[in-house]
Amino acid sequence: MSAGNRDVDVQLDVTLIARWQRGDQRAASELVERHAQALARFAAAQGVREGVEELVQDTFVRAFNSLESFRAESSLRTWLFTILKRLMLDRQRADRRAKSQVELDEGHAVQEFNALDGLVADEAMQRVRQAVDRLSPLQREVFTLRVTEGMAYTEIARVVGSTEGACRVHYHNAMRAVKEYLSDD
Amino acid sequence: MTDCPNGTVRDLLPEYAHGLLEGNEAALVAEQVAACAMCREELALLGQVNEGLTRGAPRVDVAAIVRALPTAATPRLAQTTSRRWVSRHVWQYATAAGLILVAGSGIVWKYEPDGQVTRVADSSHVATTAADVAPSAASMSADEGITFGGGLSDLSVDDLQLLLGQMDSLRTLPSTDPQSVTPVIAINDGGKTL
Ligand SMILES: [Zn+2]
Repeated sequence: MSAGNRDVDVQLDVTLIARWQRGDQRAASELVERHAQALARFAAAQGVREGVEELVQDTFVRAFNSLESFRAESSLRTWLFTILKRLMLDRQRADRRAKSQVELDEGHAVQEFNALDGLVADEAMQRVRQAVDRLSPLQREVFTLRVTEGMAYTEIARVVGSTEGACRVHYHNAMRAVKEYLSDD
Repeated sequence: MTDCPNGTVRDLLPEYAHGLLEGNEAALVAEQVAACAMCREELALLGQVNEGLTRGAPRVDVAAIVRALPTAATPRLAQTTSRRWVSRHVWQYATAAGLILVAGSGIVWKYEPDGQVTRVADSSHVATTAADVAPSAASMSADEGITFGGGLSDLSVDDLQLLLGQMDSLRTLPSTDPQSVTPVIAINDGGKTL
C-alpha cells in the first residue's frame, strides 16, 4: 500500500468488502488487485520457490469464503497475510515430509531452496537477496513485512504470532545483520 | 554502515519510506533524514532491499484469482441486480396478480433453488405438496422477515415492489445451502386460506 494514510487504506478495504457482500463482483477484483502482489512478494521473500500464485489464490479463496466472519479488528491486509502464513506453514510441513521421504529413498540431502537468487540479475540486488536469505525465518518475515510493506509492529506481530516488542527487536537485529553482510565485501 | 543514534527515527524509517507517516512523526523523520547521513544511508538501503524483494517476486494473475473466488453472498434487500430484476418484472407480476384477484382466487409462489417460480394453489399449476404451502397470511422464513396479512388487493405498487424485491433476493440466494432457498411465499386473498 502506498497511500499516505493507513486508516484510509483500511477503510477502503472495509468499503470494498461491503460492496462485494452486496453482490458487486468488481469489488472483489479491486480487493485482489490491492493485495495480491504484496502477498506474492512476501511468499517469495520467505523462499517459496514454486506455486506462489497458487498460494496467493488459496489465500484469497479462504478469505472470501469466510469474509462473513471477518471482523475489522485487524485490517484485511493483516488477515490475508495471516492466512497466507498459515498456508505456507502447511505446505512447508508437507514439503518436509516429502523431502525426508526423498532423502530416505535416494540417500542425499535436498538442497535448501532459495527462490529469488536466480531471478534477480543485478549483482547488488543479488547481494541484498542473499543478506535477507541468511536471516532466521522469523527475522526474515518481520524484516520483509516492515521493509516491503511498511507494516506497523502491531500488525506484524499478528501475522507472525509474536509481540510488538519482540518484532521490533527482530527487525533491528535483522537490519544489523543485513548491514553487516553487505559491508563484508 | 553506522547506525544513527536516534533510535526513534531509525525505527520509523520503513514507514517513512512508504509514505505512511503523518503529522509530527513525518516531520520529525523528514527533518532528521535531511540532517543525517546515516539515516539517508539506511533509507537508501531500505529502498534497495525493497526493490530486490519486489523485483524478484512473481507477478500474479489477478483475473485468474478473481475467477477462483466464490460469488458474493446475495443481500437480503435492495441489491442492484435485484432492483433491476424487480423493475423489469414488477408490472408483469402486478398484472398477473391482478388477473388472479379478478378471478377471485389467490396465489402461492414457490421459489425453487434453480430460480424457477412455481405457482402453487393455482388449479392449473399445482406442482407441490400441501405441506410446502405456508398457511394463511403471507410469510417467509423468519430469517427473511417479511410478513403481512391482508390480500393482494390491499397492496400498493410500492408494497408489491418490496415484496417482489424480497422474493427476488430469495430467488438469487447462493446455492450452497439448498435448504434455505426453498421458502414458500403464500399470499391469501382477504383472509381466505387457499
Ligand atoms: Zn540519523
